[in-house]
Amino acid sequence: MSDMLQIEVKVNGAQRLIDVAVHHTLLDVLRDDLELTGTKECCVVGECGACTVLVDGRAMNSCLMLAVEVDGSEVTTVEGLATDGRLSPLQEAFLDAGAAQCGFCISGQLMAAHALLSRIPHPTVEEVNEGLAGNLCRCAGYEQITQAVLMAAEGGDR
Amino acid sequence: MRGFQYARPVTVGEAVALLDEYGPDARLLAGGTDLVIGFRDGSIRPKVVIDLKRISELRPSIEHTGESISISACAVMTDIVEHAGVREHFPALVEAAQVVGSVQIRNRATLAGNICNGSPAADTAPPLLVYDAMVAVSGPTGARRMPIDEFIVGPKRVALERGELVTAIELPIPDPPIGSAYTRLTRRWGTDLASITLCCGVDGAGVTRLAYGSVGPRAFLVVDESGILADPHMSDDAKAPLLDRMFAEATPSPRSMRASPEYRLAMLRVLGARALRTAIGRLPKGSTT
Amino acid sequence: MMRADSTGVGASAQRVGGYGRVTGLQQYLADIRLPDVLHVKLVTLDCARAKIRSIDTTAAKQVPGVRLVMTAADLPQPVPRFGPQFQDRPILADRETKYHGEPIAAVAAETKDAAEEAAELVQVEHEVLSGGVFSVADALNPASPLVCDPALRPDDPLADTNTRREHRFGWGDVEAAPADLVVENSYEFPMVTHFAIEPHGFMAAPDGNGIAVWSTIQHPYLLQKMIGQILDLPLAKVRVFAPDPGGGFGGKQNPKLEPLLAFMALRTGRPVRLILTLDETFQAVRRSSAEVRVRTGFKNDGTLVFEDFEANFLAGAYIDIADRVVSKGSYLAAGPYRVPAVRILARTLLSHLPPSTAFRGFGIPQVTWARESNLDEGARVLGIDRLELRLRNLAHRGEEFVPGDTPADGNWKETVQKAADLIGWGTPLPPGRGRGLAIGVKSGPTTGLSYSTVRLLADGSVLVYSGTSDMGQGARTVFAQVASEELGIPLERISVVMGDTSVVPYDQQTSASRSSVLMGNAVLRACRSIQAQLQALAARLYDIDEAEIEVRKGLVRLPDRTIPMVEVLEAGLGRLGGELTGHGEMRKDAVPDHPLGGTAAFFEFNCTAIELEVDPETGHINIVRHVTVSDVGRALNPIQVAGQDDGAAIMGLGHTIMEHIILDEEGRIRNIGAIDYRIPTSLDLPQELVSASIENADGPGPYGVKGISEGALLAVSPAVAAAVTEATGLIIRDLPLTPQRVWEAMRDSAKEAG
Ligand code: FES
Ligand code: FES
Repeated sequence: MSDMLQIEVKVNGAQRLIDVAVHHTLLDVLRDDLELTGTKECCVVGECGACTVLVDGRAMNSCLMLAVEVDGSEVTTVEGLATDGRLSPLQEAFLDAGAAQCGFCISGQLMAAHALLSRIPHPTVEEVNEGLAGNLCRCAGYEQITQAVLMAAEGGDR
Repeated sequence: MRGFQYARPVTVGEAVALLDEYGPDARLLAGGTDLVIGFRDGSIRPKVVIDLKRISELRPSIEHTGESISISACAVMTDIVEHAGVREHFPALVEAAQVVGSVQIRNRATLAGNICNGSPAADTAPPLLVYDAMVAVSGPTGARRMPIDEFIVGPKRVALERGELVTAIELPIPDPPIGSAYTRLTRRWGTDLASITLCCGVDGAGVTRLAYGSVGPRAFLVVDESGILADPHMSDDAKAPLLDRMFAEATPSPRSMRASPEYRLAMLRVLGARALRTAIGRLPKGSTT
Repeated sequence: MMRADSTGVGASAQRVGGYGRVTGLQQYLADIRLPDVLHVKLVTLDCARAKIRSIDTTAAKQVPGVRLVMTAADLPQPVPRFGPQFQDRPILADRETKYHGEPIAAVAAETKDAAEEAAELVQVEHEVLSGGVFSVADALNPASPLVCDPALRPDDPLADTNTRREHRFGWGDVEAAPADLVVENSYEFPMVTHFAIEPHGFMAAPDGNGIAVWSTIQHPYLLQKMIGQILDLPLAKVRVFAPDPGGGFGGKQNPKLEPLLAFMALRTGRPVRLILTLDETFQAVRRSSAEVRVRTGFKNDGTLVFEDFEANFLAGAYIDIADRVVSKGSYLAAGPYRVPAVRILARTLLSHLPPSTAFRGFGIPQVTWARESNLDEGARVLGIDRLELRLRNLAHRGEEFVPGDTPADGNWKETVQKAADLIGWGTPLPPGRGRGLAIGVKSGPTTGLSYSTVRLLADGSVLVYSGTSDMGQGARTVFAQVASEELGIPLERISVVMGDTSVVPYDQQTSASRSSVLMGNAVLRACRSIQAQLQALAARLYDIDEAEIEVRKGLVRLPDRTIPMVEVLEAGLGRLGGELTGHGEMRKDAVPDHPLGGTAAFFEFNCTAIELEVDPETGHINIVRHVTVSDVGRALNPIQVAGQDDGAAIMGLGHTIMEHIILDEEGRIRNIGAIDYRIPTSLDLPQELVSASIENADGPGPYGVKGISEGALLAVSPAVAAAVTEATGLIIRDLPLTPQRVWEAMRDSAKEAG
C-alpha cells in the first residue's frame, strides 16, 4: 500500500510510466500531470461527460476513476483522435455540421460518439441520443451533434 | 480530495484480510462511480481504498450454469445489458441496468456496487428482489449466500459483517418462465436518480411479485398470490385496491426535493399498473392460468 | 446547406476556431498553465447569513505548501467594493456574509490538494443570523432585515427597504382605458442558473509594475477598468487576457472574483489561479426569479386597450447587473403590440441569496411568460383565436410600439405567420394534443462602442482584431466572413485575434446579442478603410483619378481593366513590404433622457410554437414539435444561426419544464450541482425541433443583419404552457412545468370537478 504509485499506461498510443498520487483521478492526472488538457472538467460527479475518455475502448468519466485504476490499460483522449494532424472523419463531421459552439463539451461528445460508433457503426437517431445522453451541452447543439455523428457514420470507415 | 492508501489485492483472501484489519476505515472500490464522488465531497474519508479489480476470482464475468446466472462482483452494467442469457431470462434487470446513469457510468458501475451502496433508489434492487437473487459473500469465516431480501437492510446498510465482501450475485432462472418488467419515475428522460423504482414479475400460476424502491428506507418486495393482479382479463379498476395494499410499505420522505410524497404515492399506482400490464404481456404464451 | 463555393456572407462556413475545439487544442482558461502558479481555494460558511466574529488561519497556514491565507483584514480598509451598477460587492465578505457561498477567505498554495485541505482548516468564528430574505414576500416585508447597509445607499429614499430600485415606465392612461374585458393574473418565473459547461475561472499575476488578469469573462474591457480602479492602476498597466469562454450566456459578463485574485497575486508576488467547481458557480450566478402580476384590458374584438404590470424580481445580496436586467426587461413588458395605455412598475429586490446577473434574455423571459400567458387567457374568454388576437395587435414595420423608441424594425407578421404555418396552426389536432404560440421581443443594445483593427498583410492575408468574446456564438467566424466578403480573401487566410486588452482595441462588451451588429460594423468599416487605402494606392501606381477606381471583394477595377487586390498591394508596398491597416469604429450613442439611456439598436423578434401531449397519469410533457422562428435580418452564417436558435430554444425548454433552484428554509441551495439540478440532455429534446429564420436584410448590422442568440429562448414558456392548457384544460401560472406540477394541477382540477 502506498500513497504514490507508478503506473504504466498507454496514452494515445504511447506507452507511459507515470508516478501518480493514488487519490488523484484520471482526470487530474491527464490534465495536470500529462498536460493533456483536451479532456475537460465540469461537474466532477459523472453527470456532464466533459471528462469522457476511452479506457480500453470503453467510454468512461475520467473524473470518477482513480488514475491508479488504469494501470496496464490503454487510454485514449481527444488528443488521440487525429492521426498525424489529420482529423478523423468524426472530427470532420463535427466541423461540417457546426456541432461545436463554445466547444467545451465537445471533447467529451467526440469520445462518447467515437465509442458509440465502434459499437454501432450505423446508429439510428435514437441510438445516438441514447449514446450521448451522458454528455451535456449547454449550448444545446444537440441537433448538430447528432447530425455530425450520423454524417460520420454514413461516411463509413472512420 | 484527501489522500488515502491504495491497496490492490489479487485474491479474495487478501481483500478480506485488509477489510477485516481496517473495518470502517476501508472502502472497497469496484466501479467507484459513487465512491469517488464521496471522496471528493468529503462524505467518505477512508484510510485505505481496496481495489477489487485485480482479483482474478472477481474478474468481470457472467456465468450461465443452466439453473442460474452468476454475475461477478466486478461485472459492470454494460456487461449485464449485453449478456444474451441475462437478456433472455431477466429482461427487467436489463431494463434497470440500462438506466443506471449514462453509457460512461454503465461502463464502470457494477451490479454488486449498486446493491452494496444501500441506496433506497438503486435501480437494480427491485428486479433482483423480484427474481429472488442470492448474494454470495466471502469473509473471514468463509463464504456464505443469502437472499437479496435479507441482504438489503436500510439506507446505506446491507447485511455485511466486518471483513466481508460480495463476490457475486446469483439469479436463479425462473422455471417455469415468468413475465417481468421494470419501470421508474424520473424528472427528465435523460439520466436521473429515480423517484420511484419498480419491478413486477408475474408467473403462470398467477403469483405477482412486486418490488419498489426510492419510496422508503429500502426497496420492498411484496407478493400477491390471489391471482387477481396477474389476471389479464381483470380491469385495472378491479386491481387497484389490491395494488394499493401492496404499496402499504411506501413511506416517501417529505424532505425529498425530487418529488412530493403525494406524487410518489400516486405514481406508484400508475407505474405499478403499467409494469403489471407489461409483465403480463411478457408472460410466455400458454403459461397463463 | 453548405455553400462551399463561398466563405463570405450567407455561407455556412466552418467555425473559425473549430479545429481547436474538435482536437482538444483550444486553450480555455483552465488549460493555460502559468509557471510557478499558486492554487486558490475559497473559504465559505454553510449558511446564508452570519456575523463573522473572528477568523483563525493558524492551522490553515501550517499545511505544507500554503503560501497565503487571505481574509478581509488583509485588504485595504474599508474593504473595496465593486460592481457594474453599484459598488456594493466586497472583495471578501465584510464582517457579515450575505449569502450561502459568499467567500470569506481564500487560500493560495502550491498544490490544489494543499489549498483544499487548508481551506477546510480556516476557523471562522461566526454567529448564524436567523430570518433572512429568501423570497419576494420576504423582501417586501418591512419587518425583514435589511440586506444592504443603508450607509452604502446615501441619498437613496429606498435605503431603508430591501427594494434596491423601482422602475416605472408607460404611456397613456391605464385607468381611463375603456376595456370590455380585463384579465388579471400573477405568474411566477423560477430561479435558474447558467450551468455553462466551463465553470468560471480566474488567474492573476504581477506584470512588471502592473497586473495581468485572466478571466473567463465576456467583458474584458470592463474588467480592465474595474481592476484599474480598485488597484489604482492606469489602464495601460492592467492587462486582461480573456480566452474564449466555454459558454457564457450572460453569467460571465461581469467581474466576480478577479479583484480578489489580483490582490492575492500582488500579495504573494506570484501567479494565482482559481477554477470554480460547478457547485460554486451555482453560488456565483443565476437568473432573477420573478413574480409578475399583469392586468390586460381587451375590447371584445381582441384589440388591446391597456396592459398593466407589477413585476418583482428577486436579485441577490449584491446587485451585479441585476437591476439593469429589471429595467431593460420590464421596459418592454408590453411586448411588440400596439397598446394605447401601458403602466409598468418593476422592482429590483435584494435578498440573502447569491447575486443574480445577466442571463440570456435579460429579464424578457420573465415578463414574456406573464404577458403572453395572459393574452391567451383573454383570447379564451373572448373566444378569439390566439394567433388572430396577436396578429390583430402586432406592431407593423415602422410603428413606434413604445412611444419615443425605435420603431418596429421588421415585418413581424411574417415571422409569426411562418411559425403558425410550421406548427400547422388551425389544422385538426390529434387527440390528447395541444398547441401554443407565443411571441417574444427583446431590444438589442441601447448604447455601444466597438473598435476593430484590420491588417492586410503583404501577402494578402488578413488579421482582424476584436475585443469581442467568442463564447460559442461564433463571433470569430462572423468577423472573418465580413472580412472575407469585403476583401475577397478566403477564410483560411484570415485570423481573428481576440482576448487580450494589450493587443485588441476597445470594445464595450459582449452582450445583448450585439457583436454581429456593432463589432461587425466596426470590422466592416476597418475593411472599407483598407479598400480606400488600396484605391489611393492604385491611383498613385497607375496614375488614375481615385474616383475612377473601384475596390470590391478583392478586386481593383480600373477604367480599362481589373487587377487582383493583392497585385496592387504588392506593387504599392514595394520591396520593403509592410501592410495596410484599417481602423473601424461603431458607436451607438446614449440618449440623455431615455429611461434606458438609449434606444434599441434593433429588436430580436421571435415566435415560438409548440405542439405537445401530456401523459394524463404522470403529468409528463412530451413535446412533439417545437418551432422557433426568428427575425435575423440576414443570416451571415446560417448554420451558426441555427445552432444559436436551437440552443436558445432548448435552454428555454430547460426553465420551462425542469430547471429551478430549490432553496431550504435557511436560503441554501438544496439542488446544487449536476446531480439534482436538471438541464436538458439529448434525451429531453422535442421530437422535432424546427428553427427557421426570416431574412429581410433590414437590420443595422453589416448586410442587414440583426443580433440573434437570445430570441429563441424568450417565448418558450408561454408557448409550452398554452399547449398544455389546450391539451389538458389546465392553466398553470408557475414554472417549471415539471411532471409533478402538471399532475398536481390535474389532481386539483379533478377534485374541483368531482
Ligand atoms: S466532469 Fe466528469 S462527468 Fe462531469
Ligand atoms: S458546445 Fe458549448 S457546451 Fe456544448
